[in-house]
Amino acid sequence: MEINSRPVVVKRMPERVNARTAREFMRALRPFLTTDRPQLVLDLSQVARLDAAGVEMLLSCMSAAHKRDGDLKLAAPSAQACVVLELTRTERLFEIYDTSTDAVRSFSGFLPNTMRQQLLHNRSPSMSAA
Amino acid sequence: MDIRGLVLINSEAESGTEPNHFGEVPLALVDVAGKSALMRTAERLRKFGVGPVTAVIEEAPTISVRGLQGEPGLTSMISPRERFWRTAENAFNDLVQAGAEIVILIKLGCYFEPDFDAVIQSHLDHNCRVSKLSYEGLPLEVFCISASRRNDAASLFRTNLSKCRTDCEIVEQNGYFNPLSNACDLRQLAIDILTLQTDTSPAGQQVKPGVWIARGGHVEKGARVIAPAFIGAGACIRSGAVITRCTVVERNSEIDCGTVVENSSVLANSYLGAGLDLAHSVMGMGVIANLRRGATALISDVKLVRSLSDSAAPNFLSSAKEFVRFIPRQMWRGIFGARVQPADLNTTLHQTSPALGKAAGYEAPACNAGAADEFSNFVAVRPHGNQ
Repeated sequence: MEINSRPVVVKRMPERVNARTAREFMRALRPFLTTDRPQLVLDLSQVARLDAAGVEMLLSCMSAAHKRDGDLKLAAPSAQACVVLELTRTERLFEIYDTSTDAVRSFSGFLPNTMRQQLLHNRSPSMSAA
Repeated sequence: MDIRGLVLINSEAESGTEPNHFGEVPLALVDVAGKSALMRTAERLRKFGVGPVTAVIEEAPTISVRGLQGEPGLTSMISPRERFWRTAENAFNDLVQAGAEIVILIKLGCYFEPDFDAVIQSHLDHNCRVSKLSYEGLPLEVFCISASRRNDAASLFRTNLSKCRTDCEIVEQNGYFNPLSNACDLRQLAIDILTLQTDTSPAGQQVKPGVWIARGGHVEKGARVIAPAFIGAGACIRSGAVITRCTVVERNSEIDCGTVVENSSVLANSYLGAGLDLAHSVMGMGVIANLRRGATALISDVKLVRSLSDSAAPNFLSSAKEFVRFIPRQMWRGIFGARVQPADLNTTLHQTSPALGKAAGYEAPACNAGAADEFSNFVAVRPHGNQ
């Protein structure tokens, strides 16, 4: 694996993400998304309200970054943001980290213990008959 | 010092447990992140200077020698069920004849990562004939046997490892342990390997942090692989597919366009159809075991799930046959096929779905929508979902 020395941009998302603020935020992000192989981290710690336009904006950012062989990661999502992301099942499309620092570090090395993932499942004895 | 390994895999389960199989293949032979538990055990033994390793595997129609090749220093022997323990004893004697001074005997079973150096040192320090490993007080079917003590070894093999002629010294060991007794454990092993909880690692190259792709693994443009994930040798992730949350796609498997695979294991030589959503499951050999629901489903529709062949030629022939059959059928339908007129809303609402129909003894209308008679613009919608 090559050593990654490209810059990582961290942006904090606004407290309320609706159609208007999402559009403004997207406009602010566009210069970073149009660079070669962009690496972005969106800090969701301040987000108190996130609506469909906000989720769509996140997906647009991810798609734009992916088109240019870059990546978008989310950091420190608030409880409200977590609920919306889970409800829309979009949380599985992103790497989500506890802190922005971890998210930035994850671009240069794999940090499994800092990822937010619910992977544990109930052990069922009936599975043995598979 | 000449220390060799002997690994046994058969269909006998430990007392009180069910046989650890998935689709008739012992779990110890199922690939997890590129290598089976057998291969990982052989790799670990080699790391501690134990080798060569001989594996004695009980014969089964689903086990091919081809799938057991590829691990250096590992020789596999397939034995019929009735002669399994005799073959194991002969294999032990062959190792002794070849000059082994100590033999590490492991019955898989569980996947365990002990410190073999400490085990051998303890065995030598206590001048034991046979030492047995335990994990958190639970005795395991892992032994360290002095090669000169053939009679002790013979007594072990003749009692299916349940009893030894002399008292075994118990050596308590810590390290990663997975009972590997069902599909849940298989999935847990995949998660633990991908999240680096084990000493062993995915058998591929880390192309970006947390994403391992083995030689020949292919991710098409437009597909998204989210770390941690593993794509096996010769596996193909088609455009628009999403691989996420500790998913492993084993060798020669194919995930078709637009399918999302979340927190799942796709076993070797499996095809997962287009536009599906597989989550919290182990899939392979035409079977899907959902771990959240604790249910196993056998899928017979080959458009959804099917097994692929190990070699490329049968897969190519199968695809070509499908294509050749598809083109004339579509042309025939296009030219001569009768166009189906969509039924009007009122008729549709009063009609029983053929899927529910008489076979299920259900003859009531699909829904009692009397309102449809009164309101011409009435539309029945599902209260939830996006359909």
